Amino acid sequence: MELFALLIILILALSAGLLMQWLPIRHRPRPSWSQRVPFLGGGTPDSHAWSRYHIRYYSMTLLLIAFEMEMMFMYPWAVVFVEKGMKAMMEMGMFLAILSVGIVYAWREGVFKWQ
Amino acid sequence: MAVNWLHKLAARGSVPVFPVLGINGAGALRHLVLSPHIELVDSPRHASVLLVAGEIPADRFEPLRRVHDQLPYPFTTLWFRSEPWPHLERVARIDALDDLPDALVKAHREQMEGRRGSAHRLLPDKPPNPWEGEGDFGQGGEGMMGGVPYGRPMAMNMEDDIRDGLTLDSLTFRLGPFFFAFPPGMAAEITLQGDLVETWKTQFAPYPQPLDEVFFNAHERPVPIAEAELARARHHLQRLFHALHLAGLENVSLRALRLAHGLSTSSTLDGLRRALSRSGFFRLTAGGGALGPEQARMIGGPAARATGMDDDLRSEDAGYRRLGFSPVCQAEGDTHARWRQLLDEIDQSLHLARLAERDKVHTERLDNIETPRGPWSERQPADASALFDELLPGLEWGDALATVASLDVAALADQAVGTQPSGESRAARGGNGNDV
Repeated sequence: MELFALLIILILALSAGLLMQWLPIRHRPRPSWSQRVPFLGGGTPDSHAWSRYHIRYYSMTLLLIAFEMEMMFMYPWAVVFVEKGMKAMMEMGMFLAILSVGIVYAWREGVFKWQ
Repeated sequence: MAVNWLHKLAARGSVPVFPVLGINGAGALRHLVLSPHIELVDSPRHASVLLVAGEIPADRFEPLRRVHDQLPYPFTTLWFRSEPWPHLERVARIDALDDLPDALVKAHREQMEGRRGSAHRLLPDKPPNPWEGEGDFGQGGEGMMGGVPYGRPMAMNMEDDIRDGLTLDSLTFRLGPFFFAFPPGMAAEITLQGDLVETWKTQFAPYPQPLDEVFFNAHERPVPIAEAELARARHHLQRLFHALHLAGLENVSLRALRLAHGLSTSSTLDGLRRALSRSGFFRLTAGGGALGPEQARMIGGPAARATGMDDDLRSEDAGYRRLGFSPVCQAEGDTHARWRQLLDEIDQSLHLARLAERDKVHTERLDNIETPRGPWSERQPADASALFDELLPGLEWGDALATVASLDVAALADQAVGTQPSGESRAARGGNGNDV
């Protein structure tokens, strides 16, 4: 029953959101071809802009995920910590130590430097 | 119903204007920036009014057609000091600078309230290149990258990597002449590899820029040094405004422009300098774009002095020598040094103007004039935009744009600002009609 109520709420919220987006655009004509080409100040492209591109912050992103996973594991750990006591504390300490070594290694390799 | 209500709300809001700059159009742009109810946008997609400011040369008609058609429907156009094309319907021409903001607001309001129809598209509504791809989404065809959907190939890795061994695709396109980060009128064919500039070829040189009339008068008769130096400082501040706008530092850029408009001998640069350091502008422009000695000689003026050359025609003028003038210089010659140089020169100009006003000193040499753009002895400073072709390859895109903004490459126009039909120079002097 609760799940059913949640489903109804979800459908209502989604349809309200879609309706609000659809109302203003229902009479609008599709943009013309000249509008759909990229704006280059009056210039023209030679090729499609779908190209391989260097995202330079990707190494920092990977590190962020490492930190984030660490935090995620701490939530279930906090629940069992009361039961298990010192043993859980030790296990989490080991886990954090291993992750920290990874971060220290990345630091040494110059991941935090913007090249 | 909801749409009508939204239209009424939009009609009361500020007017998003995309300026297309023609010859001598930059003055109108600077006037509009300080007008309330006008919001200048950098892309036609965000605009509902297209402003053509100044005469557009015939070789830039095709790009103008493309930009014209990129405004979202409905939109309206306004031509300022430029003759609208005869086949355009319902297009107004405005000549007085003071009437321009009101005309823009009125056109936008009429448009939003449905009293004025939208401008018509100029180009046919079909793909710029015919569909040549295979398969529903162009996924077929030969080779790894498929066919050529819409007549354009997919970007491919044509050249060896120029930085760190990571293979990236080369992307070639032509940018300008109505791109806000370039000097008005300039267009270039650029190949990017990721965010690195691989090749740069300037296709259209920027329009010749008008200069304050005091520098033209100085060729004919002695002029008060105070007046010439204030005009010089104003020119530099206006360039600083464009660079700050490009860097996204809107508040500081407006501050620089307001200072330029109300400039007098009692103005100081200290507040602006502090704001610039706080905003991180100098960190943004750090490094890149260093000029060699040959290039520095080619462009001349403040950019050359930023490389350490102390060439300044003012030191040959007896009037300036009496004021104790000696050129200021930097050493590195890169983007950062050029902005430091510009700020130092503004400071110096204000100082000279104060001294010259007190002692009523006039210029004495008529044949050798140091304009804000560079030395003017036998001939005027010429266009130096070809410099970018050798300076920019190898730079990151952001550094390349910062370098473009820091170099004053446009040639000088034969006509002064003040000889134009309306009160632009008056607006440039604080809008109150009093001469400095």
